[in-house]
Parts: sequence; C-alpha cells; structure tokens
Amino acid sequence: MTTTDPTFSAEQLAEVRRLQALYPDARGALLPVLYMAQDTFGWISLETEEYVAGLFDLSPAHVHEVVTFYTLYFRERPGRHVVSVCHNLSCHLAGAGSIIAHLKQRLRVEVGETTEDGRVTLLSVECLCACEAAPMMQVDDRYEMNLTPVKIDRILEGLA
Amino acid sequence: MPRLTVNGQQVEVPAETNLIEAARKAGVEVPHYCYHPGLSIAGQCRLCMVDIEKAPRPTIACNTIATEGMVVLTETDRVRETRKSIMEFHLINHPLDCPVCDQAGECWLQIYYMKHGLYDPRMRDEKVHKPKAVPLGPHVMLDAERCILCSRCVRFCDEITATGELGIFERGDHSEIGLFPGRALENPYSGNVVDICPVGALTDRDFRFQVRVWYLDSAKSVCPGCARGCNIDVHVNRRRPHHAEGRRVARLKPRYNGSVNRWWLCDAGRYGFTFVDDKDRLLAPTRREGETVSDATWDEAIAALAAALRRSPPDEIGIIASPKMANEDLFAVRRLLDNRALRRVAFRVPPRVAGDQDNFLIRADKNPNSLGAELVGLGGDSRAVLEAARAHRLRCLMIFGHDLLASEWPAAEVREALGAVETVVFVGANANATSAAAHWVLPAAAWVERDGTYTNFEGRVQRFRQATEPIGQALAEWEIVGRLLAALGDESTATRAEHWFRQLVAAVPAFAGLSYQALGDGGRLLAGAVKA
Repeated sequence: MTTTDPTFSAEQLAEVRRLQALYPDARGALLPVLYMAQDTFGWISLETEEYVAGLFDLSPAHVHEVVTFYTLYFRERPGRHVVSVCHNLSCHLAGAGSIIAHLKQRLRVEVGETTEDGRVTLLSVECLCACEAAPMMQVDDRYEMNLTPVKIDRILEGLA
Repeated sequence: MPRLTVNGQQVEVPAETNLIEAARKAGVEVPHYCYHPGLSIAGQCRLCMVDIEKAPRPTIACNTIATEGMVVLTETDRVRETRKSIMEFHLINHPLDCPVCDQAGECWLQIYYMKHGLYDPRMRDEKVHKPKAVPLGPHVMLDAERCILCSRCVRFCDEITATGELGIFERGDHSEIGLFPGRALENPYSGNVVDICPVGALTDRDFRFQVRVWYLDSAKSVCPGCARGCNIDVHVNRRRPHHAEGRRVARLKPRYNGSVNRWWLCDAGRYGFTFVDDKDRLLAPTRREGETVSDATWDEAIAALAAALRRSPPDEIGIIASPKMANEDLFAVRRLLDNRALRRVAFRVPPRVAGDQDNFLIRADKNPNSLGAELVGLGGDSRAVLEAARAHRLRCLMIFGHDLLASEWPAAEVREALGAVETVVFVGANANATSAAAHWVLPAAAWVERDGTYTNFEGRVQRFRQATEPIGQALAEWEIVGRLLAALGDESTATRAEHWFRQLVAAVPAFAGLSYQALGDGGRLLAGAVKA
C-alpha cells in the first residue's frame, strides 16, 4: 500500500454514504470512516486525512483534530503486528512492568517503536477491560491473557 | 420580549437573547473569553458563570437564553469563587511571559486575573511547553503556550471566512491550536483572529514589538481601502516615536458598526496604511523648472497657481479630482469649478488591474468616496480631459493624488499629455511618477492627519477623525483648495472640515439634513440611498 492518493473502492464509498446517513450530522460517521481508511491504507497519513475530509466536505484541519485526539489512529505506519500491553492498575499489580521489559528486550525496541524488520510495533496502553486475566496485552485484534515471559516468547514466534 | 432581573435591575430583552447580552443591557459585564457576539456559542472557557435563582449551581451565561421572570446574579460569593477557580485553571500552564508579550496591556488574562483572580498560585509542577513564535501566515504569529483554547479563531475561520484553516489538535493539556500541516493562514481576513484572540496567543506580525499598547493613542476613523468604508480605530504612537523608527501609525483595528463591517476588517485595509509614513511622502510645496526642483512656500505656490488659473481660459483648465478625497475636499473643488466656470473635470481614473471583490466586505472599487465625488458633481470623462491635454488644448491641469502613469491608460499617451500642458499641478500625499512630471507639487495630508467624511458605496456618510499631525507642511486638500479660492477672491472659504461639510450640505441636496453631529460615530445613510 502506497502513501500517495488514498482512494476507497466503489463498495467502500457506498459504505461511507451508508454510515453518513446513520447520523443526524454526517460528521458522526467520521470515526468509523477513519477506521475504514486505517484498515485499508494501514495508517492515517495526512493525504488520507485530506481524502476523508473531502468525503465529508470538511476542512482537513477538522479531520486532523479528530485523528490527533484519539490514540487508536496510527499517524505513522505501524509494524505488520501491533502489540499493546496494558499498564493500567490490575495489570501493573500483576507484573506488567516486567512484561513490558521482557518485550522490549526480546524485540529490541522501546515502547512506541517498531522493530527494524517492520514486524512488530510495541505500545503500552490503558485498561483494555480484561483485569480478570491480568497481565494481558492485545496483539492485533486478539487478547493474550495471563502473560508470562514463556507465553510471550511463544506468541512472538507466531508473528510473521 | 422577556423581562428579567440582573443584579436587582429589571431589563427587557429581545427573545433568544443570551445572558451575557442581557446583562450587558443592564450595564453588567459578565467576564468571558470564548463568547463572541459575532460567532457561534462554544461554552468552552466556562468563565461566564452566573447564578440563576432556583438553579442548583452556577450556569454559563453565554449558552443560557433569557426567559421571563429570570433572576440572574453575577456577583454572589459562589460565582466569584467559581470564576477565581476557573482563572486558576486557565493559568495552570500559561507561561506568564507578559514582559515579552505583545498582548500585555490589552490581555484579558491580565485584566481578569486582576479583577477576578488574585489567588496565590498552587501549582508546583513543571508547566507544559508548546511551540512559540510560529508564523501561521503572512500576518499572524502563534504562541501556543499562551493559548487558552477558547476556539474563537477556529470558529472565525469556520463561520466567517468559511476557510477552516485552524483546528485544535491533540488532547488534554497537550491540546494546541494550529494549521493542517503544510497549510497557511492566508485568507483575506486573517488579521481578525488577532483582534478576537483574548490573550497573547495570536499576535500581529506587523505590529509585533513595535510599541507597547499603553503608549498608543486612538482616533475613530474609516478605512480608505475600498468603497465599503469599514469603521476603524487608528492607533498612533505619538508618545514613543523612537520605538518604531518614526512610524506613527502603529495599527488599524476594526471598530464595530452593525451596518457596515460589524467587528471585521480585511487584511488589505488593515495593513494598507504604510503610505502614511512612507519615505515618499511629500513634505513641502515644490516647483520644477526643467530638471530643477526647488522648495517653495505655500504662499508662493498658491499665488503661482492662482495666476495660472487666472490667465487660462476656463476651457483650457482641466481638473482630475480623486475618489480618495473626502467630501469636504471634493466640495472645495466644486467651489473652484463654480468660481472659474470650469467644465473639464473628472475624478475616475481606471486602474491598471481591476480590483478584487467578494461577497463579504471587499469591494472592487478601491476608493473610499466614489459616490461622494459623483454626488458633489465632479463626475466627468477623465479620458477626455487627458485627450484635451494631449491635443494641446489645456494650459493648466490639476491632478489630485492619481498616478496617471500607473493607470490603465498607455503611459506614453499620458506622458505626451503631461508634456503638452503649460502648468501641471499635482496635489497629493505621496510622490509618484505623475508628481515627478508636474510643475507644481503640493503636499496633502493623509486621511489620518485630518478630519473629513467619505460616502460609501451604499450612500452611508461616515466621519474620520484626525489621529496625528500632518507630516511636514502637508495640508488637507480642502485647505489647499480653500487657500486657492481665497487667492482668487472667494471670500467664503471655511477654515475647518466641519464648516466645509456644512457648506456642502447646504449646496448639494443629496446631503440634506446631515451634520457632523448627526453622523456621529456610525455615519448616516443619505436620504435617497438605496441599501444594496
């Protein structure tokens, strides 16, 4: 996927219009459409913001406001897999600190960075609502729970 | 029309009036940052809290509509305490760099801290730092640290210019206003965001560090930049002339007029005053003989000009007045026409480039007084005057302000025309190629250096007042023409702009019933004017 000229397919454009019609003010659909864009293009570039702004007849500045407000939009291209470790209260008490340290050491990156081969981006995040299985992390769309260093190594080996 | 009580005082306000405006009507000022009467309600700054009887807690006044029987209290202990706390929040990360901030002296953080804050700071944490001195465009500088995120500038760009350049990016105490990366704030009204910024976040690049605002004097005036006639305040620096290398006009600020420009002013008008203190200002009457230019006294100049007018038959005298002149000046010219029975007169000179126009304030006619010149009776064919000169049929040609050589007319033809006239007289504030070709050059006062009135394109007659002294020996055009009239034996010339206006009103039916007093600060529409 290139960063130039992000464009939705005809089906996606139909979906944009369907989403826009769901809200009294079409701007309500901005968040789901930005997610669509992120899924399609891999991240939200400035070009993507301008493209989406055009779909909503908004100024690009107002799309930029939304993208910079929320943390789940990637403003840089992430690795092929995103590992988000919870560092909030329950996970912290259950050893999230050492889990993060282990991941940093295995992946040779700091939190917020992507491995040199572009395989994994490591993030630390607030509560993901799985305290009963602390410490936990989210790998792409999947929850990995009751983490131990051994379990983490096995998960990392499974990431292509 | 709901009636309500504000701090014990009864007021009646139109339906849908918010409590800030209702209180204003009762003479009560509710402190606020984000509310602006020309913009939508944001309810962002939370400072305009008031108590409303039977409401459990203070309420923001900007987003509360006055209703019948409402009892509003703006100075209860609870409201004062709330305000103080909100001020404390606003100033948590504020850099307090007032000593180097251009806004100091007209900053609503300073004003409201002194009025409603006066708490002892309790914050021990390092302040959050943000970008400083970031140029947003040709006219506006951003200091993100000083910003209180009131969003007035964002709403201005969304609602007034509909250009949408600005936004509030990031979140929490990292929030800051800014532009979409790679864009610039360069719409034709960008300077207004500086006016409406209540703090020092957006400052004027042209005015920055010129002079402290408390050294400025102000005069009510009218922008001469186009036929709209936006109401302005002229801020002049007379008390610290050494601070800005002799630049006297520090800045122009829009002045509210609900019938003309409301709160706004375009950038072309706002920054179009540099000619006033330009090096090319004409300082004394001069006479040119061949290549030799020498200074003359006003008496010599007037005598020479009167002699030239006397010895030329009326048909061989041409006058090109200017739609940049005030009504008073134009009427003095009209008197000169009557005195000498002159017929070759005009005031319109076509510009080389047609003026831009929009559907907001900016008019294509870049002259403040075309309608006034027309009504005073100076309308004529200026090209015909030029052609008469070219055909050696003029002995004397008076040109007011115009640079004919920079007009749409072919420069070679203009040169030919100027070369064919025995006495070319130029009256104007600044030197130009036409003044260089004149035999007599008489220095005129700029509009900020004198009193007068303009008639805008809608027929609204508006006063502008003297803000500073004329430079050098410059005189208002009405005075120059008045002295000429006196030299020609006309006894009734006036010595003040107001008297000239009175004579104009008596002589020109369109102006009937007007006086400086009647014009007031907002001007008056001519009786026959049709609102466009």
